[in-house]
Amino acid sequence: MATTNPETSSTTINIGDDKAKSLSLPPPPPSTAAPKATFFRMARAKGGSRRCLSVMDFALRIVAIGATLAAAVTMGTTNESLPFFTPLFRFQASYDDMPAFTFFLIGNAIAGGYLVLSLCYSMVSIVRPRAAGPRLLLLIFDTVMVALTTASASSAAAIVYLAHNGNASANWVQICQQFQNFCQRTSGAVIASFIAVVVLILLVFMSALALRRHSRQ
Amino acid sequence: MHFDCLQVIHLHINTDVLFLISSKQDHLHNTLVLQTQFVETMKGEGALEIGEPSRALIGGAPYVNKDISIFDFILRVVAIIGTLASAIAMGTSHETLPFFTQFIHFKAKYSDLPSFTFFVVANSIVCAYLVFTLPLSILHVIRSRARNTRLFLVLFDTVMLVLLASGASAATSIVYLAHTGDATANWFSICRQFHSFCERVSGSLVGSFGAIVAFIIIIFLSASALSRRW
Repeated sequence: MATTNPETSSTTINIGDDKAKSLSLPPPPPSTAAPKATFFRMARAKGGSRRCLSVMDFALRIVAIGATLAAAVTMGTTNESLPFFTPLFRFQASYDDMPAFTFFLIGNAIAGGYLVLSLCYSMVSIVRPRAAGPRLLLLIFDTVMVALTTASASSAAAIVYLAHNGNASANWVQICQQFQNFCQRTSGAVIASFIAVVVLILLVFMSALALRRHSRQ
Repeated sequence: MHFDCLQVIHLHINTDVLFLISSKQDHLHNTLVLQTQFVETMKGEGALEIGEPSRALIGGAPYVNKDISIFDFILRVVAIIGTLASAIAMGTSHETLPFFTQFIHFKAKYSDLPSFTFFVVANSIVCAYLVFTLPLSILHVIRSRARNTRLFLVLFDTVMLVLLASGASAATSIVYLAHTGDATANWFSICRQFHSFCERVSGSLVGSFGAIVAFIIIIFLSASALSRRW
């Protein structure tokens, strides 16, 4: 059946008609495009676990958007005025009196805006779970946002701690006894920002988990 | 297999020799022609014209991953130096003023301010973590296909990045407050009395921020090494 030609180092194999048919691939199955694809069907499709991770990633992003925007709004609307009491203390406290709080507001606003924009990349990675490009891009920017959000949250936390406790060595008086509402609002904003940081860490880890590729052996 | 056009298959025999197998289906005579061709030894440079990827198929496949892992190792060493320098510089900051007035404190030390204590502790923890993960990094250079250890490192690197960034920025906000004071809260800027303490403390922040940048790059490198097919 097979003849070899040593001059051109080629082998010719005789294929009969029936053999041609047996060598052909079976016809592809008819496309079963169901009008309503259920979640489990999607999960069983190609890239199942990665798609599941992408959906969780999308959901966590929405949670993080809520946390960062809540932190920014809470910090931005702090404004407390004391009634005229003593000449020694200032009467108004607002976020722009402390540069750390201004940085907190800006940092959280940037993180919230980035997370809103990254929702479309997250949707792309749901639709195409095997694509590494969008996921890698999301991972890089998520890491940068983790650093930014942590920096803004903890600089504000240092000031809030100082406002609650004061410092004897530096003669810094605690202001929370006078500005109670201001202190409560800023503390709440800092907590919301730290929640966003934890969610962002989870997002980074999930992107790295979904990026794993099976190596060739 | 169903051939309906010219297909080229690379066959890799060993690291030195490459054969090219092309197949062609002759519909007229119902034959399948397989032709082998000895191309070139791989010791020669630029042997192949067809398919640069076949060079990457060769036994020492993860060349790019090795470069990534080496760079990752170098960055870890840089981060160790940064965090260690920051911790030592902050930890040894100590200034005593000559006896001046009754109202101002005479001594300044890092432990007077809790943010600075947190800064020293965070930098020490991150430095110790980096020293412990150096062997893992070396393992990645040797065995570039390790997947799960890279994932483990990505998670812990992110957590350490958060810790480091948190310590560095808390200390930064206190240093800023020490330099400029705050009118609303009647907080007096202490740098006017404690010059050298302020300078030392401000300088120790630099190493920490450099380590933060190194960590971001390390995480990105680990992720891109994870995403490669080989």
